[in-house]
Amino acid sequence: MIGLLLYLLVGIGLLIFLWLLARRERAPVEGCGRQFVEARQALRTLQLGLLPENLIERIFDPEDFRYVTRVGSGDIGNLFLQERKRISLMWVRRVRCEIRNLMRFHLDYSRLHAKLSVVTEIRLALDLALLLLACRALRILLYSRGPYGARAVVGVLTAAAGRVCAASEKSLAFLNPPALESFRRSSAGDGAAI
Amino acid sequence: MGAPPKHMDVLAATDDLRRRTLVEMTQPLERLIYLASTRDYNTGLYYHHGLAARFSEEAACEALAGCHREAFEELVAASLEELVHELEAYLRSTRVAPGDFIAAWKGLEPYRVAVPVGVDSLSSELVFSNLKVALAILEARLMVRTKPGASRPLSPVQ
Repeated sequence: MIGLLLYLLVGIGLLIFLWLLARRERAPVEGCGRQFVEARQALRTLQLGLLPENLIERIFDPEDFRYVTRVGSGDIGNLFLQERKRISLMWVRRVRCEIRNLMRFHLDYSRLHAKLSVVTEIRLALDLALLLLACRALRILLYSRGPYGARAVVGVLTAAAGRVCAASEKSLAFLNPPALESFRRSSAGDGAAI
Repeated sequence: MGAPPKHMDVLAATDDLRRRTLVEMTQPLERLIYLASTRDYNTGLYYHHGLAARFSEEAACEALAGCHREAFEELVAASLEELVHELEAYLRSTRVAPGDFIAAWKGLEPYRVAVPVGVDSLSSELVFSNLKVALAILEARLMVRTKPGASRPLSPVQ
């Protein structure tokens, strides 16, 4: 009798577990417009606002500091370092935030829409992990060594961010105007598809 | 504002603006301040009487906005040394007493409202930060040049 009760309890437990699994929220296969728009926005911010080479060069180029030490007093030098540290920390924080947005997108939706190969997915996952790690390391280095103490990490971070952007670009390519245009052309004559 | 202007009109208006008005302003900072002053604070739209009369209000607005963005991008790309030179040249062009100019710019930070719409906040923060340091450098130079006893108060607006 006790054995039967035990089996019954295990059975009920399994049923509850299966019911909970079935109830779990998951990304709809057809996707969610807001998620795509946010991912697209994050990608644009990274590509146009945070990762342009000249901007990164401007923020982390020590030439500005050399100029300040040449022409200014110690106070101005300190002001400059304080300001540049603030800007570089802001840059890392913004990059991390946008990368996390892209990561969320890739985790929830990308696989349902873009046919990424396993190798590409593994590479993407490694790059995302590397990026978050590099962001953390860079923040610590910027706090402890100032804006010019971590150029190598900046290089690693921007290279990995570039790869993630390229992969995300592929996943979101169908949102680009030419793709929409070709879809519109191939749709019904009355344009009802869009 | 009516329908969006034709691309060719905007190009022609931009060319006209560069040749007639902006040609005198060699420094991006000077252009940035001038172009920001043609923008209505309430609507965010740019207006230039001569350009609007020659083309259309819409084309003039787009041309001014495009040149404004361009001037801002040049400032973002400028090194601190270049920015100090630009600020010095702009200071000279205003014909305001250097002490008053520096006090006003440090106190009011007028450059904060001269940023084009839609630029990334990091770029604008970088420019503001560089301008802050450039002003400190100019102020230090001014202190060195000014004889003791002849200096005037530097912060009437703070």
